[in-house]
Amino acid sequence: MMSSLAKFGASIAKEARILGRDRQALILFFSMPVVFVLILSLSLRDAFGDRPGATFPVLVVAQDSAEVGHAIIQTFRANPHIQLALSRTASEAQARQWLIDGHYRFVVLVPAGATDQAKRRLGEILASVPPELRIEKPVEIRVLADPAMRADYRQVLESSVDLVLHGVEMRLAREQVEQTLRATQGENHMPLPDMENARLFGAVQGETVTKQGRGQTPSSVQQNAPAWTLLAMFFLTVPLSVSFIKEREQGSLFRLQTMNVPAWVVLGGKAVPFFVINQIQMISVLAVSVHVLPLLGGDRLDLGNAPFALALMGACASLAAIGFGLAVAMYARTTEQAAGFSSAMVMIMGALGGILVPKAVMPPLMQDLANLSPLSWGLDGFQDVFVRGGGITDVLPEALGLLAFSAFCHGVGILRYQGRI
Amino acid sequence: MSKPCPLSTQIPGPAVGRPAIELKGLGKAFPGRDVPALDGIDLAVPKGTIYGILGPNGAGKTTLMSILGGLLKPTSGAACIDGHDTATGRAAIKRILGLVPQEPAVYPTLTARENLDYFGRMQGLSGAHLQARIQACLELAEMAEHADRRVDQFSGGYRRRLNMVIGLIHEPRILILDEPTVAIDPHSRSLIHQRLRELHAAGITILISTHYMEEAEHLCQRIAIINHGKLLVQGTVPDLLAMQRDKTIQLQLEGDPPADLEARLEGISGLLEVHVAGRCVLIVAEQPDSLVAPLMRAIHERGLGVRSMSFGTASLEQVFLALTGSPGAPK
Ligand SMILES: Nc1ncnc2c1ncn2[C@@H]1O[C@H](COP(=O)(O)OP(=O)(O)OP(=O)(O)O)[C@@H](O)[C@H]1O
Ligand SMILES: [Mg+2]
Repeated sequence: MMSSLAKFGASIAKEARILGRDRQALILFFSMPVVFVLILSLSLRDAFGDRPGATFPVLVVAQDSAEVGHAIIQTFRANPHIQLALSRTASEAQARQWLIDGHYRFVVLVPAGATDQAKRRLGEILASVPPELRIEKPVEIRVLADPAMRADYRQVLESSVDLVLHGVEMRLAREQVEQTLRATQGENHMPLPDMENARLFGAVQGETVTKQGRGQTPSSVQQNAPAWTLLAMFFLTVPLSVSFIKEREQGSLFRLQTMNVPAWVVLGGKAVPFFVINQIQMISVLAVSVHVLPLLGGDRLDLGNAPFALALMGACASLAAIGFGLAVAMYARTTEQAAGFSSAMVMIMGALGGILVPKAVMPPLMQDLANLSPLSWGLDGFQDVFVRGGGITDVLPEALGLLAFSAFCHGVGILRYQGRI
Repeated sequence: MSKPCPLSTQIPGPAVGRPAIELKGLGKAFPGRDVPALDGIDLAVPKGTIYGILGPNGAGKTTLMSILGGLLKPTSGAACIDGHDTATGRAAIKRILGLVPQEPAVYPTLTARENLDYFGRMQGLSGAHLQARIQACLELAEMAEHADRRVDQFSGGYRRRLNMVIGLIHEPRILILDEPTVAIDPHSRSLIHQRLRELHAAGITILISTHYMEEAEHLCQRIAIINHGKLLVQGTVPDLLAMQRDKTIQLQLEGDPPADLEARLEGISGLLEVHVAGRCVLIVAEQPDSLVAPLMRAIHERGLGVRSMSFGTASLEQVFLALTGSPGAPK
């Protein structure tokens, strides 16, 4: 046993040395996941949930500086998703041009004298002038939208303008009524209720309900960081299986079989350096997501507060990937076969498992199918920690699933290694 | 754990105790191939001998050695090394056996020293002993000054030399080499021959496969010739040479022969065939020695000189070709 351990150590050192001499491959191993996370987290960030600081450019042309213009500006200003630009003087034609040029995605036009016109119309209404005899028409607040804008976003913005205007109507009506009362009953008129601070309904607040229970949908970085870490980890099955088959083709594997070297020393000696690379991949992706992404205007990844759960997930995901690589190596005949098969399988497992397309946007049937992919278990485990604030016990099912997958692959691989003779 | 070898040592030969390597009815059929790669081979390699396995390409040499090395399982018969069956006594065999594969089995991105170090450790060596063995092997291969160069920068011959000494790192008592001298220059080849003789002198049993006849003739004490997976003949070199009586006389002339020389020589009685090609003359006769005198007379009469003449020495090559058929025309 002692001598087997010494052989194990020597095998690890040998493999590390061989890997260390392949600079290009090393650079690829470490840069690929980091680059992927940066690109995808930055480019997909609007497609995911709430993001403070998201910039959605809206122009308000407020030729009216009284209540109506003021209220609309205030509402947009309070909305964290909106980057507000103001103009007092721009013409409609000018605003249309800006929209076409892509400076803004949404424009609100508040015509000059909007407030006064509204007040005059209100006067007629309160004086019970029949609709057909009213002189003032409803004030027209126009909105212009970028055609590329998603219809649901546009709807939301239009409704929010509507809502603001409702509030203005309410306030103006109250003022007018108060004025009338003051005129008829003097300063001691009957007090009016404070309608604005007496809402009948509580503010509407949404809550996301996911399969796992209540929780948020992952943000862009919460999806991408674990997703690309996992994909990178599993992609290491390509060089792992290729290096195994190369060793067979070079004959060194056969040479080892003529010596007293147990199978686990040969397989383990290969697996350990790749395990270490996997862990470095994970750490570097997480570090970039925490420290670099925010500098580039993306979200900062919140790591949660369960470092051991993360370490457990990282270890189990790596073991699963290594097991898969060994199994592929044992069954593939040539390096081309191994590389082609393992990369295709990893892409399929990734697509199925919600790595390429988040599970949250998949239809229910695909969400169920996703659970077949070990990458999906890995992703769920990481998101237990990042999104749902889970700890060791929450990630345990996923970790055990990955371990079982790993054990299965190792078993199949070792049987083949021994039976290969 | 390992059963005693089931084979009885009935194969004749100057065996010292039990043979180092013994094959009994050894057969190997690869799935999907109608001709077996090995077909009932019986062979005994006495301890301390250099034993040559001769055979053309595809004869089954590598298959035989792979079975001895435990890389393949025989489909019939059995093979024993130092009394341990290759099917059941792997662990014991691995300790005493060194196998040098036909194709260099080394890590190309590691240096020669790193290769030796790794395989040495895999053989269970460590510490000062390992370092001493590495140094010894580097010197055996005459590559001490290249020890720290990567193997993928080596020439083919250096790679083969390294390949060979890796098989020696653990000082095996039985050494099996599969065509160690293919595709290397005369210097490397004679170096390997010299090392093998030294190992033989140190009491190591050596089984070497080759298709170079002179190599087998000069290096080996005993030889087996196989073809198409069958053992054709085995014995000492003189035994095998005695099998093939040479019936030719070869002559090398001093000057260019006249055109009618061939016709003139054909008149000598007892001569079966004569071929003249340039200054070379080849004569086939039932009793070559009785023809020497009339032949020389006939040539001198034409005013020609003889540079060299040989007859009566069969070469192993002739034995080999006679047994395995001429190249390109397998039996
Ligand atoms: N893995 C294999 N699968 C199928 N057939 C094989 C396999 N290995 C060898 N053979 C066949 O077995 C026969 C013997 O091959 P082997 O390699 O033992 O010949 P060899 O004597 O070593 O030849 P060479 O001098 O060319 O090295 C050949 O016909 C070969 O095609
Ligand atoms: Mg061969």
